[in-house]
Amino acid sequence: MNKKLPYSTPPGYFDSLRSQLSGIPESKSRFNFVPYFALAVSFALLVMLGNFILTKSTASQPASDQEIIEYLIDSGTTLAQLESAVNNY
Amino acid sequence: MQETEKYFKELVQKYSEPLYWHVRTMVGSHEDADDLLQEIFVKVWKALPGFRGDADVFTWLWRIATNETLSHLRKARVRAALSFSRLDAEAERVSDPDPYFDGNAAMLSLRKAIAALPDKQRMVFTMRYYEDLSYERISEITGTSVGALKASYHIAYEKVKQFLLDSD
Repeated sequence: MNKKLPYSTPPGYFDSLRSQLSGIPESKSRFNFVPYFALAVSFALLVMLGNFILTKSTASQPASDQEIIEYLIDSGTTLAQLESAVNNY
Repeated sequence: MQETEKYFKELVQKYSEPLYWHVRTMVGSHEDADDLLQEIFVKVWKALPGFRGDADVFTWLWRIATNETLSHLRKARVRAALSFSRLDAEAERVSDPDPYFDGNAAMLSLRKAIAALPDKQRMVFTMRYYEDLSYERISEITGTSVGALKASYHIAYEKVKQFLLDSD
């Protein structure tokens, strides 16, 4: 390198550097499963969270008789249809 | 794969030291240069399967190293700005005692002047001044036209000169 350089390095630095850098292929070729594991855990957590939210919002108290009656009236169900449904039940 | 690994090790043997000096002249500190060399050779290893053997290996390696170093300098400036330091904090940092700096007071002033340059001017200045690379070679490495490089070097040279005059 150029003699104008005012820098130095620790003794034996370049031998140690070459040795470290030569080890890169071995260290980088080992299969790294950590990102795949993290992805799988994230996916599982997401599914569990979705399931929890859905269960919480839909698994409410059973409808009362009054609510069922109001629903049937609002939906325009006739008495004949109700009788037929009860007979077939 | 074994051929690639063998070639990579040849590159390490032949180019790690000149690449270290290429990076060191731009960043100044030994620790930063050492960290960057690791990152650069990891990139080289990953990019090696796509490297065409007929291309100029020197240009290819110096391009990877220069881009990594510029990226490092940019991040350092952003960090300095975010920590409410002055943007020339790096210029001040180099005045800290460095066990791997062998120069006299004039060389230390030059080091500070170079550290105060904008990244691209610093890059052109160090590649010309310390590495004696031709403008054509720097142009191949950086993808910048020779004319633009000459202009950058001239501006950098004037700034360094002014810095040294002011520090006298």
